[in-house]
Amino acid sequence: MTKTILIIVFALLLGAWYLSFLASRLDRLHHRVETSWEHLDALLQRRAAIALEISHFAAIDPATSFLLTAAAYQAREANIIERSDAESALSETLKLIRTQDMATTTESESDILAGLVRITEKISVGITIHTEAVNTARNLRSQFIFRTFRLAGHAPLPMRYAFEDDIL
Amino acid sequence: MKSLSIGLVCPYGWDTPGGVQIHIKELAEWLISHGHKISVLAPVTDESALSEPWLVSAGRPVPIPYNGAVARVIFGPLASSRVKQWIAQGDFDLLHLHEPAIPSLSLLAGWAGEGPMVATFHASISRHKTMNMIGNGLNPFIERITAKIAVSETARQTLKNRFETEAVVIPNGINLTKFQHSPAKPEWVSANTIGFIGRFEEPRKGLQVLIDAIPEILKSKPDLNVLVAGPGDFEDFSKKIPEHILRHITYVGRLSEEDKGQFFKSIALYVAPNTGGESFGIILAEAMSCRTPIVASDLPAFKALLEDGKSGALFRNEDSADLARKIVKLLDADTDRSAVAQAGYEKAMTFDWDVVGSQILSVYELALVGNSRVSLASDNRFWNRLRAND
Repeated sequence: MTKTILIIVFALLLGAWYLSFLASRLDRLHHRVETSWEHLDALLQRRAAIALEISHFAAIDPATSFLLTAAAYQAREANIIERSDAESALSETLKLIRTQDMATTTESESDILAGLVRITEKISVGITIHTEAVNTARNLRSQFIFRTFRLAGHAPLPMRYAFEDDIL
Repeated sequence: MKSLSIGLVCPYGWDTPGGVQIHIKELAEWLISHGHKISVLAPVTDESALSEPWLVSAGRPVPIPYNGAVARVIFGPLASSRVKQWIAQGDFDLLHLHEPAIPSLSLLAGWAGEGPMVATFHASISRHKTMNMIGNGLNPFIERITAKIAVSETARQTLKNRFETEAVVIPNGINLTKFQHSPAKPEWVSANTIGFIGRFEEPRKGLQVLIDAIPEILKSKPDLNVLVAGPGDFEDFSKKIPEHILRHITYVGRLSEEDKGQFFKSIALYVAPNTGGESFGIILAEAMSCRTPIVASDLPAFKALLEDGKSGALFRNEDSADLARKIVKLLDADTDRSAVAQAGYEKAMTFDWDVVGSQILSVYELALVGNSRVSLASDNRFWNRLRAND
């Protein structure tokens, strides 16, 4: 009798340990989703700021300048649902300036353009890492054991963004 | 970017030559030259021969067969406690693990540490049933890694198949300036000298494929000379080669980095007949940076590096007849050869350490956003925390 009770207690303890292990796995992923998004968000904001600076270049024609300014403001002020589309639109607009002749840039202007290239590289790394964290977290949460024991607690479901792979 | 304290973990024996070890050494040197503090933990056979002040030995490696080659790795309780000690004393901002998905130091460090962790995956392994089983067991470990780097598109695909996880592709870096001033070695130079570098005793390096192609090449190039370099017992290996073929093979021993530049500058063609298990082909990139034309087997990794034949000729894997044809064709066409060499040189430029290093730094930057530092996972368990508060 006591043996059975001991076995049951042991099994319960083991089960509890396993659940807490799973919960901490998920918690780490939620944390990463948040931090990677914060970082990506900051990078995207910096890109919008760079886009605004570029729109003031002397070599940029007024029509392109208008498009850039509009796209940059939209990206900055987009809410969470519009964000992905707005950022993709900004990427598209920034592609326009690559096709233009920028031979007449001053030194500080080419610094800004080099900054744009650097930030774009970082953004593409940031997107990979963020979407990876989101997908892993969502995969875990969809598993039976995570749903049954509500291991996600009150954490909101990580959002998927339809970022384009080829951002610039 | 502020100065970082970074711990790099090398899975393979530091004193055995290999692509991963060289990559880590050069990454460490590049990071140090950019003002970061580096410590490298690696298995070491002969601790008295260590020349790098930033290298920490984790003990002697043991050879185990893995992925068609012999991997010299270390694991077990002793190695595990050394890893913990290293992490505890290192006070790192970030850990960078290399090839962590095999039983090795990197795996141990990934389990023992907690905090910002970056991992680089070098190998491409075909999808295997046993690998899948192991893969599933490793999932919780793979999740701990903040950011993953794959050294090539094929390595990324391998990672995706095994763990369903996404990685950033950053190629291996090369010091392009390293070989720039290497002179050619007169006794090696001739119009029909072709070269091979690698552990020739390992079947997947494919020297046998090249040897089988020699009789065919001799028909149009009777003065062919095949230079073979690499670690191993060549005398023993050459016993299986018929005398009339062996006469056209010169074994030059194991090359130092300096010799390697001279080797590439001297030969007319570099041949890479590898039959599998390659994820990048750093040796090809090095040859390309010396403007040495290349003939390589059409493994996916080589195909990608040689841009489908634009920056180097490709032959059907394990097909000696096709290899012989491609070698003769390229030896005959001087203009093709220099066009291929120039395209190869330009492609190699994209692997320069300054380009690659700053890409790796931006991954570090991303992994560091949580603002936490590396700590021991065991210190964070709640019963240990209780003890620490006493």
